Amino acid sequence: MLDLSAVKRQIDRMASDQKRIQNDFFERIDLSVHEARGWSDDWKALSHDVDVSRTSWLVARLSGPPDAACPAPPRPRQLTVIAADGSQIFPDRHEISSCYLLNIGYVVLHYGTGERPTLSSRPFLYYREEDLYEEWEGRRTAVTRESVGIRRGALEFTFLADLSVKAREEGRSVVGLSDGTLILWSLEGRPPDLRAATLRTYLDAFEQMRQARVPVAGYISSPGSADVINALRVGLCPEEPTNCDRCPYKTDRRERPPEIDRGPAPLPCSPIEGVTDDLLFARLLKPGERSGVFRSQSRILNDYGPHRIGFFYLHTGAEIARVEVPQWVADDPELLDLTHACAVDQAEKGKGYPIVLSEAHEKAVVRGADRDLFYKFLRDTFVQNDIRAEISLKSLKKLAATV
Amino acid sequence: MDKDYIGEVIESSTGDFLAECLELNSSPPFGSFVKVAGRSPTIGLVFSVSTHSIEPNRRPTAYGKTEEELRLEQPQIFELLKTEFRALITGYIDTTGAHPFLPPQPPRIHSFFHPCDADEVRMFTDTSDSLRAIMNAPRLPTDDLLIASVRGAWMAHNRDTAYLVTMGKDLSRLIRDDYDRLSSIIRRIAQ
Repeated sequence: MLDLSAVKRQIDRMASDQKRIQNDFFERIDLSVHEARGWSDDWKALSHDVDVSRTSWLVARLSGPPDAACPAPPRPRQLTVIAADGSQIFPDRHEISSCYLLNIGYVVLHYGTGERPTLSSRPFLYYREEDLYEEWEGRRTAVTRESVGIRRGALEFTFLADLSVKAREEGRSVVGLSDGTLILWSLEGRPPDLRAATLRTYLDAFEQMRQARVPVAGYISSPGSADVINALRVGLCPEEPTNCDRCPYKTDRRERPPEIDRGPAPLPCSPIEGVTDDLLFARLLKPGERSGVFRSQSRILNDYGPHRIGFFYLHTGAEIARVEVPQWVADDPELLDLTHACAVDQAEKGKGYPIVLSEAHEKAVVRGADRDLFYKFLRDTFVQNDIRAEISLKSLKKLAATV
Repeated sequence: MDKDYIGEVIESSTGDFLAECLELNSSPPFGSFVKVAGRSPTIGLVFSVSTHSIEPNRRPTAYGKTEEELRLEQPQIFELLKTEFRALITGYIDTTGAHPFLPPQPPRIHSFFHPCDADEVRMFTDTSDSLRAIMNAPRLPTDDLLIASVRGAWMAHNRDTAYLVTMGKDLSRLIRDDYDRLSSIIRRIAQ
């Protein structure tokens, strides 16, 4: 049970801390805008500094001025927008079976034709031995929530690619949207065979879409990333090249007696630290405009081949969103414009968030009541078939807690 | 599989049923008769039509666009709405013929329905039994339902004046204690 009075005291403290930080924060944002504009003409020098830098943070590589703003091109009158989203019932060893369920919601919206859209979902039940246990690098373990999530993500892209190719075969102009990042950084540090198998599914889907010339984009609402800010921090660094491992300013700090060393470290790159890219682009972009395309330097992207992910920021009118696209979209002005126009239009139609994504989510979502009904079906079916059906004592206790 | 159905029953009870239409805004008209398929087809009189969101927690909002513009630019909306109607059960048909009273069992959930053809309408409107059923059922827009159903039945009787006169007489017997109401109903039927 949550002790709300104890939480309230902590919330009060948090609010007062936040307020103090906020005042300083506006100055940081002003400075980051100033920096971005300052590199506008000489962006190639900054780009070079970024390319040769070794930093402890993720830095965006530039392909144009950091303060560039491109207005939204008109959306083709007839356009098909496709999205797939997934939801799941995680394996629960306290239930009668450790099986799990993925539910993929998918939406195909045809604009400008008056055709009926597709809004649907398809469930997949995983219960076989090979579904519930996985073996990576010779180690056999029960599936975890994380691995279910990975399987779900891969299935979403398989759907997205299949639907996109089908719509393209019908002669339509198509954009495929996905909720969230296309950069599978969570695979970093995972067993190589798991990583390769997962990446293969994603990259196969991207390749199918590339061949069909269907731009695929990952749409991130309220992005917390600071890749571009980090590039500007490299610009603030007097070292050539920047190398955080050998930062002389950090060394100085360490040598300072602890009683003097109060507050944040006065590193040359600190003044804009803590600012996120969305705050910067909220000041640089007007509604409908996008930034230039930046390239992510996530390590996992080294395995992406031609599908290396780039991104741009987009002022949707309601917020700054981050839109991630594979390299072949970023390099193709026609596909990039189509993605840009589509993302702006989708966010407008969805009153701030792409309508195709929110509808795909609605179709995918498995609510608590659905989950309860699922386990009820399972129990009933087991009992009807004389299969031993037993839930753990822990689950039982949750159902009927006593005093 | 019945291909010509226009919707199906989604809630059913002895006196009335709720049905969902296959297409949006395609309910049989208020005051018209429908036939629910089954071993003993049930006859219902549509008394309430509604169109709303398919999900209780999602409400439609105003877009400031025409329906045609919305169909081109917000096509998902029309997949998230449904049209339903409620019908008063006025009789049923079995192997022995048409019966103008409640069936022993209500129509089954997910049964399909059709609009009644003119023969079927005549079968259930030759006498004033359906008028009496409307008068006696609770929570109905009684007067308007009387008007709509008599006008519909008159059409099925090929606008036969004699039929209209018979119905008028039957109504005057049913509503004999309220002259103002009766004259309003008859005036509106004739319009």
